[in-house]
Amino acid sequence: MAEISFPLPDLGEGLIEATVLEWLVAPGDQVERNQPLVEVETTKSAVELPSPQAGKVVRIHGGPGDKINVGEPLIVLEVPDNTAGIVGTVPKEEAPKRRVRLSAVLDED
Amino acid sequence: MSNSTLEGGAAASTSAATPASTTVMSMQQALNRALDEVLAENPRTLIFGEDCGRLGGVFRITDGLQAKHGAQRVFDTPLAESGILGMSVGLAMAGFHPIPEVQFDGFAYPAVNQIVCQMARMNYRSRGTMPMPITLRVPSFGGIRAPEHHGESLEALFAHVPGLKVVSPSNPHEAYHLLKYAATRPDPVIFMEPKSRYWQKDDVDLAHCDANDDGASPTGAKVQREGRHLTLVAWGAMVARCLQVAGLAAEDGIDIEVLDLRWLKPIDAEALAASVRKTRRAVVVHEAPLTSGLGAEVAQLITQSCFDTLKAPVERVTGFDVPYPSGDLEDEYIPNIDRILFGIQRVLEYKRG
Repeated sequence: MAEISFPLPDLGEGLIEATVLEWLVAPGDQVERNQPLVEVETTKSAVELPSPQAGKVVRIHGGPGDKINVGEPLIVLEVPDNTAGIVGTVPKEEAPKRRVRLSAVLDED
Repeated sequence: MSNSTLEGGAAASTSAATPASTTVMSMQQALNRALDEVLAENPRTLIFGEDCGRLGGVFRITDGLQAKHGAQRVFDTPLAESGILGMSVGLAMAGFHPIPEVQFDGFAYPAVNQIVCQMARMNYRSRGTMPMPITLRVPSFGGIRAPEHHGESLEALFAHVPGLKVVSPSNPHEAYHLLKYAATRPDPVIFMEPKSRYWQKDDVDLAHCDANDDGASPTGAKVQREGRHLTLVAWGAMVARCLQVAGLAAEDGIDIEVLDLRWLKPIDAEALAASVRKTRRAVVVHEAPLTSGLGAEVAQLITQSCFDTLKAPVERVTGFDVPYPSGDLEDEYIPNIDRILFGIQRVLEYKRG
């Protein structure tokens, strides 16, 4: 397993920090991609931040009321080694499904 | 095809002793192993790209190689593809065999100038005194729900450029052998890795690429499933899908041959002819857009050699003439099982006159 740390992104044009309002996940939780992780407030608005990746929460940084600067660590996720760093989603191997059936008279001429 | 004047540039891999030669690996592991062996066998090889060094690549293909072979031979580059390929050209001139990576297909666009104007023609320009033994690895094609510029199929673009060779493996076994072979060529090879197939595991026979190959090179196309009624031609990730389709068609009594093209430049016209001469029907499947896609070239080669005996025009089942869509629409864009079956049905029911 590999650990990936996600820093607080710039949530607007040139915002430099955000205040944690409420964590929606806790260490040990398994999170899915795009699942809301935390609600933060900037000088412009309060927003929920979605998870950029599926994984298990290892650490979260900052409790309610704490300020975090853009670029500083926000959350650390544990992900399988072979998916660490991937952009996108590992495809699932599924049994083939079909709706179309073939019909042909294979006359040999 | 140029002849390399570099010492060790075409080091044969016959020394690789592999006793129990078949093992189960993912394509990631197979590619990683091939690169590891290439680095060990040829001291002139270098691997570099974005995140290739310390991280081991976003897809883990170069995982552990920097620790084993040193940061002078496996290293990170700035986020500048034109620089990665420009440096490759210079290193090749200086006698190295660079194996650069562009992290995703769509990131090759900023380096098209270096690839087309320098890498592909330096050998011609220099009348053979500056061969370009460069193996450019490009994680390619769609299928992983990635954002824009992460799902492009550039084979027709590269295949159209004189001086480039283009190859795409369909499974871990092909990946291992084709990369090892490509990395010993004296010419530039675009190595298109089907990223949606990185994780699937399968048997890899490390000692033999093709059955009864007698140590021959992994050139040309390869029949991955034999059949009598119709030939499905595919490459990269579409080979696995065509094998699934062949299994389903067998339920309906249709016996399908799956030809894995492997080399997209040069295309193995003889293998196409041999297969379709037998089956008399052909469908070519690719992810890239239809218009001016490689399917047109394949269809023409088949028509040229099998016009007299073809039962129907060669059918194409491809992506659409639109930019590669976002993840939610991916399954509608990439040829799916039903679209391929429809293509087969159109060929089966075609009547002359």
